[in-house]
Amino acid sequence: MKKILSLILCLVMLACGVVSAAAAEGNVTYSGDAGDFVFEPGTEHSVTDLFPDLKNVMPGDTLSQQIQVRNDASNQVKVKIYVRSLGAHEESAAFLSQLQLLVEQDGDSVLFEAAADQPAQLTDWVCLGTLLSGGTVDLDVTLYVPQTLGNEFQNAAGYLDWEFMVEEYPIEPEDPQPPKTGDETPIGLYMGIMAVSAVMLGILVLMMVMRKKKEEHES
Amino acid sequence: MKNLRMKLLVVAIAVALIAVISFGTLAFYSTTGTATNVITAGQIDLAIHEKTADGQDFPAEGVSVIPGDVVDKIVTVENVCDHPFYLRVKLVNNSTDLSLSDDCLQVNLNTENWTEGADGYIYYNSVLEPGQITEPVFTQVEVVGEYVTVSNIGAIMSLTVNADALQSENNPAEYPWDAAGWAAE
Repeated sequence: MKKILSLILCLVMLACGVVSAAAAEGNVTYSGDAGDFVFEPGTEHSVTDLFPDLKNVMPGDTLSQQIQVRNDASNQVKVKIYVRSLGAHEESAAFLSQLQLLVEQDGDSVLFEAAADQPAQLTDWVCLGTLLSGGTVDLDVTLYVPQTLGNEFQNAAGYLDWEFMVEEYPIEPEDPQPPKTGDETPIGLYMGIMAVSAVMLGILVLMMVMRKKKEEHES
Repeated sequence: MKNLRMKLLVVAIAVALIAVISFGTLAFYSTTGTATNVITAGQIDLAIHEKTADGQDFPAEGVSVIPGDVVDKIVTVENVCDHPFYLRVKLVNNSTDLSLSDDCLQVNLNTENWTEGADGYIYYNSVLEPGQITEPVFTQVEVVGEYVTVSNIGAIMSLTVNADALQSENNPAEYPWDAAGWAAE
């Protein structure tokens, strides 16, 4: 029995190991209230690096990278998320111009297909969609490295910037109801009601005091 | 007094309305963020090891020899990068004495693991994986007596090992010497 349990434990651990060894995913998360985007996982080259799987590339390689864009704002708002490319850093252009990059949204529409140093189809803002709380968009990035990549690019590093923008909009009655996530208690509303009640109470007390004074004056 | 009461009531209602309105209005926030993404290229790198029979580094200044001597010198190559590669070496004889023949130094080539190509290079028969060290190219160098005479006393003879590595990923070949991409001499 112990052996069987040990075997099961080993298999579970092995499965965990396989999962952890799987390709890393880039994540772009908007947490709401016009806060900053969070870019993960980041690498030793850049803390906002979304390309952990596009490292150490070799001539002839075809590599893929998945990036998930997520709206983590509250249920009170929906967001429109946009992306554009600012292109390659100047010192990276020679290397990145050798590589071809393909970016597809949700495995379907092509957002970008050009040399990696170019902004190309992402020169202007492209809307990725309107996301309710918890909504996601998946971007599939494919990198093609030509067989002809020269020795002069051994150990080269290419930097390219992607800018994301978000616009918040209030939820409309006709919008689908997003799934409830966490505590949705409207603390602000309760505080407001409490403040209004305090003001009304104050006015009532004032009126009572004034009435009492009037009665004393009349008597 | 009635007027004052009315004014207070209006103020109270106004306060209540402002409070309600402020909760009924949401700002249209907008913000941006920039991700700096990085693509890096790999590299091929190797290290040549030259050892004596007892595992010490072969002296850089060389050793004194006389004709007919056989010197222990074990030459291997290590893959010190993250990628597998094909490997070849070339042995080059150099001497300060131009009268010396290129054949004055002979090695005991390991023909089990290395193959002499028609182009003068010696090819390692296997792909060398990251972290691996080859079997020795040779283990001994002989100073061939028939090519070294009294007139060569004081000459410096050297045997240089040049190594080339070639990416094997995305570059299949039946034999290392057939792989595409070897640099022309």
